Amino acid sequence: MMMSRLKKSILYWVLLSPLMIVILFPFGLMFVTAVRPRDELFVYPPRWTFSEFHWGNFVDMWGKTNFGGALLNSLYVSVSSTALALVLSIPAAYALSRHRFRGKGSYRNFLLMTQMMSPIVLVLGLFRLMVQFGLVNNLNSLVLTYAAFNMAFTIWMLQSYFNTIPRELEEASWMDGANHFVSLTKIFLPLAVPAMVVTGIFSFINSWNEFVLALTMIRSTENYTLPVQIFAQVAGRYQIEWHHVMAGTVLATVPVAIVFSWLQRYLIRGMALGAVK
Amino acid sequence: MKSALRSTPLLMILPSLGLAMFVIGYPIVDLAWTSLHEVSRFGQLRDFAGLYNFTDVFGEPLFYESLWRTIIWTVAVVGGTLLISLPVALVLNDDFIGRSLARVIIMLPWAISLTMTAVVWRWGLNGRAGLLNATLMDLHVIAEPIEWLATAPLAFTAEILIGILVSIPFTTTIFLGGLSSLPQDSYEASVVDGATGWDQFRYITLPLMKPFINIAIVLNVIYVFNSLPIIWVMTEGGPANGTDILVTYLYKLAFRFGQLGKASAISLIMFGVLLIFTALYVVMVMRAETDSTVDGEHKDDDVAA
Amino acid sequence: MASVEIRGVEKAFGAAKILHGVSIDIKDQEFVVLVGPSGCGKSTLLRMIAGLESISKGEIAIGSKVINKVPPKDRDIAMVFQNYALYPHMSVFDNIGFSLKLRKRTKGEIASRVQEAAEILNLQKYLQRSPRQLSGGQRQRVAMGRALVRDAQVFLYDEPLSNLDAKLRVTMRTEIKALHQRLKTTSVYVTHDQIEALTMADRIVVMNAGRVEQVGTPLQLYDTPANLFVADFIGSPSMNFIEGTLARSDIGVVVEAVDGTRLAAPQEFGGREGQKVVYGVRPEHFSLATGDAGSEAVVEVVEPTGANIEVFATLAAERVCAIFNQRHPFKPGDKIRLATDPDHVHLFDAATGVRL
Repeated sequence: MMMSRLKKSILYWVLLSPLMIVILFPFGLMFVTAVRPRDELFVYPPRWTFSEFHWGNFVDMWGKTNFGGALLNSLYVSVSSTALALVLSIPAAYALSRHRFRGKGSYRNFLLMTQMMSPIVLVLGLFRLMVQFGLVNNLNSLVLTYAAFNMAFTIWMLQSYFNTIPRELEEASWMDGANHFVSLTKIFLPLAVPAMVVTGIFSFINSWNEFVLALTMIRSTENYTLPVQIFAQVAGRYQIEWHHVMAGTVLATVPVAIVFSWLQRYLIRGMALGAVK
Repeated sequence: MKSALRSTPLLMILPSLGLAMFVIGYPIVDLAWTSLHEVSRFGQLRDFAGLYNFTDVFGEPLFYESLWRTIIWTVAVVGGTLLISLPVALVLNDDFIGRSLARVIIMLPWAISLTMTAVVWRWGLNGRAGLLNATLMDLHVIAEPIEWLATAPLAFTAEILIGILVSIPFTTTIFLGGLSSLPQDSYEASVVDGATGWDQFRYITLPLMKPFINIAIVLNVIYVFNSLPIIWVMTEGGPANGTDILVTYLYKLAFRFGQLGKASAISLIMFGVLLIFTALYVVMVMRAETDSTVDGEHKDDDVAA
Repeated sequence: MASVEIRGVEKAFGAAKILHGVSIDIKDQEFVVLVGPSGCGKSTLLRMIAGLESISKGEIAIGSKVINKVPPKDRDIAMVFQNYALYPHMSVFDNIGFSLKLRKRTKGEIASRVQEAAEILNLQKYLQRSPRQLSGGQRQRVAMGRALVRDAQVFLYDEPLSNLDAKLRVTMRTEIKALHQRLKTTSVYVTHDQIEALTMADRIVVMNAGRVEQVGTPLQLYDTPANLFVADFIGSPSMNFIEGTLARSDIGVVVEAVDGTRLAAPQEFGGREGQKVVYGVRPEHFSLATGDAGSEAVVEVVEPTGANIEVFATLAAERVCAIFNQRHPFKPGDKIRLATDPDHVHLFDAATGVRL
């Protein structure tokens, strides 16, 4: 009755393969377009193959579009909003994990609600808010909003990891003569670093990929973040330089995809630990 | 010492609460206020208009069309996602050669922004040079290239399929988290009792996974219902508003046509819908939590109380 | 080193009351064990001494200084946790020396004192390892080392042996006791295992449902349990109980069980005729009788433990356990006669459970 491991593995791969092909299709497409000579973009009938690798497309794209600027903008927004979210989340997650206090339940439900609120529903209100503070077309409007929308997730993740650090460790350090500050800095935080790094990276990726708010708040080309930059290259244009667009998407997505793939097991663990709970 | 200790947790949550109130709380209030007023193109509030903006929205055929399409979009994407994700999670939860690679591939779409995915597919579905046509022609499935995005029904179908594709990783992750929490000894006991693989799925896995399936449904409904990038990037709700759902309609009203009163009314309606689903989710989460504390009970511990 | 005085201490979590006014005097250099079933409040009491739980009502004094408001770090107390609570990111050396480092001792002093503690606990070889690389017993020793490096006034132990296997538990039990005899530090030890309590304690505090049931030396508790709870909790296999009525007969005072069996009772006690009582006798205080002596019992199960045999039999309609150190060849169904020595019989009031 037991299938051999090899047979089972083959069966599973066969079962998964249609889905995998569809998932990998855009990656293949991105790549073959990004390195294709420009005059082979529109050939009839369309085909996968092309005459030569044209790596110059990347250089070309970098020079002709504002890719470098958008990259810096995206980096600035993602790093700052992640830092802000973490700075605000760490104490909150610590309080949720270690303290009993009045209003804890309502605070958790409030967090849940903010997690459910998608930016699109609030986008008009957010835009009006930023107008009032003169932050339209300012990258800091994105820093603030991304941090706020990521916070529910980061607090959640951090709390579930903090719960796995035994409370006794801090208690033991108090008995050893440490005050709360020393106990936090010498015992708790060193143990929490991996959790903070993982959570920070997920928050970074979320910010890196955000589209709706960036599209709304940012009005001028030089302040575009990557998703908006790429979108602007295809939106409402008669002639789209697809080889440049695909070169851009390759550069914007592949590094993130690699980091994400490396970290995804932590996400599954986080879910099992109670991110879903 | 006591009073200081009691106030510290509040001080610790206060900064995060402040930012969330400012960025998420304030706009809701502002939207509610705006929706009750006549608003100029440039956002100036004029006279109090009562529920005029709402009746205006309800008098618009495009609203109903978008609403109907939103329902189709949400049901189709969430349904398709669940149907694919559950078997995928079951397979990925089992041990087989190359499982970690398989997991990485299945999770890939999650890592990439919806915008980029949509841009790439828009190119892939291009009627003249799209490589989907190339592939299908090579396989002799079709003889002539198809203009996938030129007609609304075809474009909408394509968008739904892509919506499913990008929702699979998240859903599978929830299921994997759930599967990893299932008690292994129940399966061993059932084998001893003579259960087949199907029996195990039917009588152990499925009932135990139910809370996770419910959570996956609610979360996906919320995300999909709110998802703008795929449709916006691929067709911008076109051709001829034929792929508009509520969010694209809302976005157009607000930032293309400057009908801010109507747009805020729609925002508020959507907020209400979201609130209902969020409440549902909170109830589910609480139920799941009370369930899990029963078996996750601490050992001795007179302290817990 | 110091005494610990616990006076009328109460603990409530919201509406739930965990401790209802507990008073215990722990003398300087004493080794006191708090024992009781889980949920009895013993760990909460220990954590209150440590300063990890606030005191809802009453006082705790260490060395005659009330410490209700003193934070844990200033109480000069060392504690061994159930899960050891070793700092996973520090070596064994740093774990043991952490408290000294916090007290700003010189490197030389820390090194020599850690070394000294390590020698006492046989940990010299492991000082540079991380806790992860140690076995359960070794981790337990590190936790001990962390406590004894400090010269603290009081040692607290929170079920320190419950995560060890049975054999190691016995060894560590002896080691902890030997350590106490050497250092003489006042110790409060929490356990749910009455054997641990009996073997280690100078005095035992039996707790149940947030109250102290009895305080006394191990043998006091064993020989004269104050009530049914203590009688049942202390001793293994536990005391046999038979319900009955006090009566006077031709052979003196007896307890008449529900089925009419008459059981010999002590002649001097504080009960009255006709009183409903519980008759208690420890398994080792049964003897075999012949002729008319004793009462008839039917053997159900015989369990040899090597040194003894434990015989489970029905006596006066109750299942009782008797221990013999001769290897009697009993079989299930055999009829035997069991006699009790009135001097080793315990009588309790059936209604209140209090010893008569």
